[in-house]
Amino acid sequence: MKHLQLIRLLVGRELALRYKRSVIGIGWTLLNPMLTSFVLWVVFSFVFAGKLPDGQQYAPYLMAGIVLNSFFNQGLMISAESIASNAGVLTKIYVPPQIFPISVALAGLVNFFIGLIPLAIVVYISGQSLALTFPLVIIVGFFLALLVAGLGLSLSLLFIRFDDTKNIVGVTLLILTYLTPIFYPISVLNERMQNIVKLNPLTSYLDCFRWAFSNNSTATINDWLYMGATGILAILFGTYMFKKFWPRTVAML
Amino acid sequence: MAAIEVKNVSLTYRVLKNRTGSLKELFRDFLHRKVRVQNYVALKDVSFTVNSGEVIAIIGKNGAGKSTLLKILAQVLPPTTGKAKVTGSIAPMIELGAGFHPELTGAENVLFYSTLMGRDMKRTKSRTAAIGEWAGVTDHMDFPLRTYSSGMLARLAFATATDENADVLLIDEVLSVGDANFQLKSKVRMQELINKGAAVVLVSHDMNAVRTLASKAIWLENGVVKMSGSVNKVVAAYEKQ
Repeated sequence: MKHLQLIRLLVGRELALRYKRSVIGIGWTLLNPMLTSFVLWVVFSFVFAGKLPDGQQYAPYLMAGIVLNSFFNQGLMISAESIASNAGVLTKIYVPPQIFPISVALAGLVNFFIGLIPLAIVVYISGQSLALTFPLVIIVGFFLALLVAGLGLSLSLLFIRFDDTKNIVGVTLLILTYLTPIFYPISVLNERMQNIVKLNPLTSYLDCFRWAFSNNSTATINDWLYMGATGILAILFGTYMFKKFWPRTVAML
Repeated sequence: MAAIEVKNVSLTYRVLKNRTGSLKELFRDFLHRKVRVQNYVALKDVSFTVNSGEVIAIIGKNGAGKSTLLKILAQVLPPTTGKAKVTGSIAPMIELGAGFHPELTGAENVLFYSTLMGRDMKRTKSRTAAIGEWAGVTDHMDFPLRTYSSGMLARLAFATATDENADVLLIDEVLSVGDANFQLKSKVRMQELINKGAAVVLVSHDMNAVRTLASKAIWLENGVVKMSGSVNKVVAAYEKQ
């Protein structure tokens, strides 16, 4: 497939530009989640650290949440914008437009894997060690990339057409962030809220991720199934919507 | 041999009547049952063919549908009805440097731009130095593009776009690149490509350039072919009105 070369180049460009924009380059990807986690840890560890089940540590719990959440939030925003921001190319040279959101999701995946290095450091600092199930994290990353690419594909059409979609998605992502147990354990919520949070697919992604990486959570088979189903559904829905509405949308670029 | 075959191509946009660009407004209008869709015809029943080695010019006023037609030929825009068949590789020179990124170096941009046009990465890498030399920016190839002057940028883009022989060239007002010296050089390069059998579609407002380069011309008005035929005849009629 000749588009593989282009995808590789786009992923590389996406990552290179991300690092070029910061003074310390790739170090930022390693440092950023650690700093964010540290700040949140200072604020919340008094409240939530004691609420985790025995054997689970708050620092890696928090940081795993931040690494996964920033993959989803940033990835979705950039991938949904990628069609509009590459409109200059897409209206002049024929390339399958889907390549752009997909490459962004793949770049996010690479970034996610890089973020596992500081996470592993925090895991060891807090006295845990990596679980034997650690390679399963690749599956979590893969399905999250599908979810990001699928939602990004469908949203990118709306981003072109309606200027305020970006704000609406921004607010929705913020709500979704609070409905994901990133810095709080799910057990602190009342039953009704727990059910709502469990409906959020990202909760399942996060539980699978924490469990697989350092056995720092419990994940049931249902979480794995929910994760797989939402990832596959998102990419199918995204590619279908894109194919259906792209011919009409490209005329507006 | 016909490299480009355009048959009864029409393009209709569907636009919302009050042209809202806001999802919130659309939702409000929807609740008040005020959403109306309008059809806008950009091209209507356009047909022509271009043979290999032939240069055809598309002329007309702004908004006549020239650029839309070029986008359809570039396979970027699917026509609503009709067919636009293009055989062989396309070098789209609709906007030079589409896809260039200011933060990447000259060499990186050449590689990216070429890959976008479907060229092989390995081959491009071996050609990068030659492309930079032809464009006269050899000393700047490792600097980010934002440090280039607009002339250097246009030269690099032209050199990259024309580096490989293409079967079809789509040109939108890009012949006036750089200084007099480079313009001459780029005209020679264009002629070379045409002599090698490229079919060329040229969109231009410069009637002198159209007369010297093209053999046939198509005059578009409001999306409809008003006149087509030999370049002298069509341009004369166009200039008279």
